Amino acid sequence: MFCHGLISLDGGCQQLCHHRKIMSLCHSYVPNYFSIPDILATQEKVPCTFEVQVKHLGFLDPGSDKRDIEVGTNIELPFWMASVLKTQRPAIADVGLPKIFKESYRDILKADPVVVDLHKLAPYFYEFGMSLCMLNHRESPEIVNVLVESFKQRFRKILDWAQHSNIEVPESKKLDNAEKIIYQAGREVGSSLHLWLTEGGSLIMAAGMVMQHKKMKLTQRDLLQ
Amino acid sequence: MEDTFGDDDFFSDGDGEPITAQKVLQTLEEAWLNEKFCPDLLPSQADYVECMMEQIQQMEENVNKLKKNDFRVEVHHMELARIRYTITSYLRSRLEKIEKNTAYILEQEALRGPENSYLSEGELIFARDFLALQENHCKQLVLQHVPPPFQDFMPTQQSLVPNLRSHVFLRAKKDVDGVVIEGDRDSRDEEVDLEENSQHIMQYKPIANFVKDGTIQLI
Amino acid sequence: MFCEKSLKLIKELDRSQEAMPPFDDDGVRQVFEEMRGLYDQNVAAANDTTADPDGTAISGIAIRHAALERNKRCLLAYAYNRILRVRNMRWQFGPILPHDIKANFNEPEVQWFNNYNICVARYFKSIGAHGLDLTADVKPPKSLYVEVRSLTDYGKLELDNGEVVLLKKHSTHLMSRAQCEPLITQGVLEQISN
Repeated sequence: MFCHGLISLDGGCQQLCHHRKIMSLCHSYVPNYFSIPDILATQEKVPCTFEVQVKHLGFLDPGSDKRDIEVGTNIELPFWMASVLKTQRPAIADVGLPKIFKESYRDILKADPVVVDLHKLAPYFYEFGMSLCMLNHRESPEIVNVLVESFKQRFRKILDWAQHSNIEVPESKKLDNAEKIIYQAGREVGSSLHLWLTEGGSLIMAAGMVMQHKKMKLTQRDLLQ
Repeated sequence: MEDTFGDDDFFSDGDGEPITAQKVLQTLEEAWLNEKFCPDLLPSQADYVECMMEQIQQMEENVNKLKKNDFRVEVHHMELARIRYTITSYLRSRLEKIEKNTAYILEQEALRGPENSYLSEGELIFARDFLALQENHCKQLVLQHVPPPFQDFMPTQQSLVPNLRSHVFLRAKKDVDGVVIEGDRDSRDEEVDLEENSQHIMQYKPIANFVKDGTIQLI
Repeated sequence: MFCEKSLKLIKELDRSQEAMPPFDDDGVRQVFEEMRGLYDQNVAAANDTTADPDGTAISGIAIRHAALERNKRCLLAYAYNRILRVRNMRWQFGPILPHDIKANFNEPEVQWFNNYNICVARYFKSIGAHGLDLTADVKPPKSLYVEVRSLTDYGKLELDNGEVVLLKKHSTHLMSRAQCEPLITQGVLEQISN
């Protein structure tokens, strides 16, 4: 069929470019097709400015009731769609930077990355940032630097919190998704090390899913009574 | 606990060279640590596993012949439990990788050919069954209900690959010269020598072959 | 907006963490419908070249194609991540699952679980001369015997040494580690810390 030949050809090119860009920017980053965090990260919105008219898709712009998308229209769209708009030849739209990766916010992150509430501003800061860089925005190298520097400084803090506090520190609410995983892993390692040093080994425990199942049954019983 | 196996237990390692049970256990322990810390699947040590399991069975029979209150019974039971843990943990690490990167591992295995296989016979059957199970499930639940050009299963598996650039802790068991560390956009390739018994943290990829031939141990 | 329904499926799974929410048949069916609609529009747009003298239809086709791929990815991620949980249940609960958990599976997931059980059992049997259960010995042993308390009225249990004990709720026993480990994992016994 005509449209598929064309699209898959296009899709093929796109994958190639994609691949080259990953290689040059972040060697070890291979987003997993089935990854829930990656699907959620690529759902984050980016500002798009349309460079060609798109018929019948006017409804993608919530602020308009027109049938078509006209040249020059600005819409915030999820990253997965924006990346297709940008990588088509000719490009359908130009893709800008979301607030958190703009120069003003980059300056804040450079000044003191530790105080920034990433959970509120960009819950998938690193994943989203890396995906964004694949679009080869002219400020991409700057973004890469901010990602790396922010991580380095924040990681030191995370390590400190994970190792030196028994309770969950309130600052952990300001972590992005990837940082939260690291923080929780750090806490678990810390407490099993403690257990090993004091008790010489850990107790055999019921499997996580089994415990959860039991708890659920208990609450159900409480509700019935 | 050296004498759970007597020094005079000999096995043949296939080339007719006899090796002791102690040596088999040591090889297994090294393979276990390597497998645990390695992002990729390593060549199977199924022969050693088999050999060790025979030995465990024999030991259990011997221990059961001892009197119940002989204190050696406890000591031997403990040592056997530790060996069993090493074996199951080793095989579990491998199975987890096989389940995670099934298509990739089967593809690599096919490229290597049967005389150079990394999977044991049982693992190979499991990997094939498991991939078929996944494909069948995806088809039944999703793919057969979507428009024809979107029904392909295999392309979705392409991203399920181990990250060979992830970092590992390692110890050089011998001098290793000329490990090439690839540069990135800011730096050139670099060559490093690892001294015997020195310990390092670096990416897995440049040292992969040294792990496989036993000159480098992951820790 | 495109793909909102498939995103809802993913968010549902993300929220439930390790647990198994009921299979969202209705949600999945709605995504199939959206995909069929998008596909039909693309076929129509591609075949209707007369209505597209300036060639702008290709942009719309590309956007809808991206939405189709995105929907496919979300659906497969939904199926795959649920199966991952089913898989973990096999390793934590053992080959027989509690009824209320299985109630949240749909038919293909029940089948997958049964088939996975067969694959795993066949593999365990292939190890060594007599087979080896890899769901046992999950923690490095520190002692041969542990003190345990029964959490349920489990009934009689024959110990390795031939002795038979009665596991009643709150009863305590000294048992060999190897024998009580699976029962602790399944929540029948708990280890008493010293």
